[in-house]
Amino acid sequence: MDIFELAIYILPPYVVALFAFGVAYRVSRYIFMFRRVPVRRRQRPASKLLAGLVKTFLDPLIIDARMRKSDFIGGLILLHILGVIPLIFLLGQHVAMFSYWFPPYSVLRPLSIPSSATSPALTLTAPLKPASEMSWTFVESVWGPLTVILNGDLLAVLAMLGVSYKIGDKLWRAYRRVGHVRLGDFAALLLLLAILVTGFLATHHLPSGDIVTYRFVLGTHILLAEVLVAVLPFTKFWHFVFGYWYGKLHEWYDLKYRRGAL
Amino acid sequence: MSGWEAFSPDTLRSEAKAIAGRLNPVLLHFVEDCVGCALCEVNCPYTPAGEEYGPVEKAEPLRRIVRGQVFLAAKVLPWLFGARLPRSAEELDRWAELAYRCTNCGLCYITCPFGIHSGTMIQHLRYSLARTGRIPTLLKMMMDLEASGNVLSVEGFSKVWSELLGKLEGLGVSFDRKGAKYVYLPSLAEALITPGALVGTAKILNKLGLDWTMPSKPLSVRAPIANLAGDSGAALEVTRRIVDYVAGIGASTVVLSDGGYPYRFLRFDAPALLGKPLGFEVVHIVELLHEALRKGSLKLREVDQKITWHSPCQLGRMGGLIEEPAEVLSSTSKNFVKLESHGLLSKCCGGGNAIACVVPPTIEMFEGLLGGKIPISEKEKVFLDKLYKDMLIASKAKVDEIRKSGASTVITACVGCVHTLQLASKAHGLGVEIKTLPEYIAELLPE
Ligand code: SF4
Ligand code: SF4
Repeated sequence: MDIFELAIYILPPYVVALFAFGVAYRVSRYIFMFRRVPVRRRQRPASKLLAGLVKTFLDPLIIDARMRKSDFIGGLILLHILGVIPLIFLLGQHVAMFSYWFPPYSVLRPLSIPSSATSPALTLTAPLKPASEMSWTFVESVWGPLTVILNGDLLAVLAMLGVSYKIGDKLWRAYRRVGHVRLGDFAALLLLLAILVTGFLATHHLPSGDIVTYRFVLGTHILLAEVLVAVLPFTKFWHFVFGYWYGKLHEWYDLKYRRGAL
Repeated sequence: MSGWEAFSPDTLRSEAKAIAGRLNPVLLHFVEDCVGCALCEVNCPYTPAGEEYGPVEKAEPLRRIVRGQVFLAAKVLPWLFGARLPRSAEELDRWAELAYRCTNCGLCYITCPFGIHSGTMIQHLRYSLARTGRIPTLLKMMMDLEASGNVLSVEGFSKVWSELLGKLEGLGVSFDRKGAKYVYLPSLAEALITPGALVGTAKILNKLGLDWTMPSKPLSVRAPIANLAGDSGAALEVTRRIVDYVAGIGASTVVLSDGGYPYRFLRFDAPALLGKPLGFEVVHIVELLHEALRKGSLKLREVDQKITWHSPCQLGRMGGLIEEPAEVLSSTSKNFVKLESHGLLSKCCGGGNAIACVVPPTIEMFEGLLGGKIPISEKEKVFLDKLYKDMLIASKAKVDEIRKSGASTVITACVGCVHTLQLASKAHGLGVEIKTLPEYIAELLPE
């Protein structure tokens, strides 16, 4: 058994179990600590509250764009909006892989993003159908000319630039002995970078096209991604699943719904 | 040895346990969901005084305390997971310096992409520091005075209060009158710093024709000041005293003229502290004015004066009254201008959360009232001098936007804001008149 087999066929149930345990652990603490606060809310029109909800999510983005342009471009646009989110959820190879593990995921198949900037075909070997029972017939993506941007190669490079910017920023802060920078920040960012680099290498059959190397690189890519999923509830990656949504919804509830700060 | 010299690892450990006991889902989220992006820095009034005073930095000590209590990995490897408690008095001093660079203004709350209110964490840090002895002497004195139940036991205070009572009696105010529907609840701090607000509020309440009364002596130094200083036991006691007083009168509504921390505390925080509703409504005088103007039951005289509104963080952002004061003021002058940051992200004056109340000029003022020196150690003096310097840096952005507005009078509604703006205005040569909203409106009441 090589790393590729281990990552695809053996580990997934364990990864899911660890992830589920982590989620249950973290969410349950919120449930057990919950106490109702007997405060009378200020009445405000529903339409204003709704607009306030949208503003609650937009405000930090606007502030970031206005007051910290480098972080807005490096951290938000490159890393999150263009890089990680479409790359993880829509890259053709990922859609195929996730659909294998979780068949309903294939509803996203029409939105898949190709890996190449020059061809919207949804696999490197298109239009050949891979010799496997679970293979798909690969098609042209729906993105048309947008493929110039929405392609795995470019998005991966942008995401790598974004992560590198974040690492650089943290290093600069660590150098200035800023107290909140911790080892875990670097571990998380380096893990992300390693996933991106191995994924990019695997897509391009680098460093060599022989099958053993390919399986090793791709296996490493998947394994590292599994590590990320398994540790996600215990690390800062949790913000993506819970912290962001809980935090902003709570802030809206507290400031706008309850106190009426509109 | 004064509290500023003391260092006891045992106290720190027991405080760490106490904080863990106070955790709730929201505080847990604030502690554990920060990704360290540092965006919160950009709007914090104290960042201009030093990058180390950014919200995430100031909240880090509290995170260190909590991590060591609640996260298994941090218990096992505290140095790796950032869970180390201070190991020397100097480190503890550093924590105190951070904790007193926060006005609890809530700007970081909105700025943070994850809705993390660092000010809340810093407040909890202050509570723990108070137990170690790191609490400004003047704040401690006021807290003890308030807890004693007789804030007028100081001769200087009682003199100011009785002079004020004389003026109020002249307006026909009846004190401690049972059966009144409204209780106006001013604090000692207002009497000392913004006495005009009391007289103005009395005139407004009379003009509105409300059935109202007020205590013949202040029930607290300021809401419970103990809540700012970190003594939840004393805060609870003072809150109960206020609730019992209002229940004794049988009033349905408490009116406040201090739109700083007391408004937020009584309107939103006190029920949580008591664990039950207060049994009466809490309104700020601006809410009554806004309602009366909306209904047309009150008409104010108009002036040409160029005025502006400084929104106290605890009345606006954290109290929900952002547009109401601006609407009231715009009905009094065609030359009312909003400050550039008016709204949810209104700039903080830089002196809230008891900061302006403990800086050297305030100490001098209190020494005058107390008729003697306040015993402050050399170490605390250095701490307070630096705090004052940083407070003036923090208030600069506010001063600049007031200057830019071209207004000749700044209206606000918080004792702390008035005091801070007066100090900042003097230091930065702003040269504007600073008035409380009730004072200003009272001058425009119809004959
Ligand atoms: S903005 Fe929020 S997540 Fe970012 S460092 Fe500040 S508190 Fe942490
Ligand atoms: S509450 Fe205000 S002063 Fe305190 S850290 Fe947040 S932004 Fe800064």
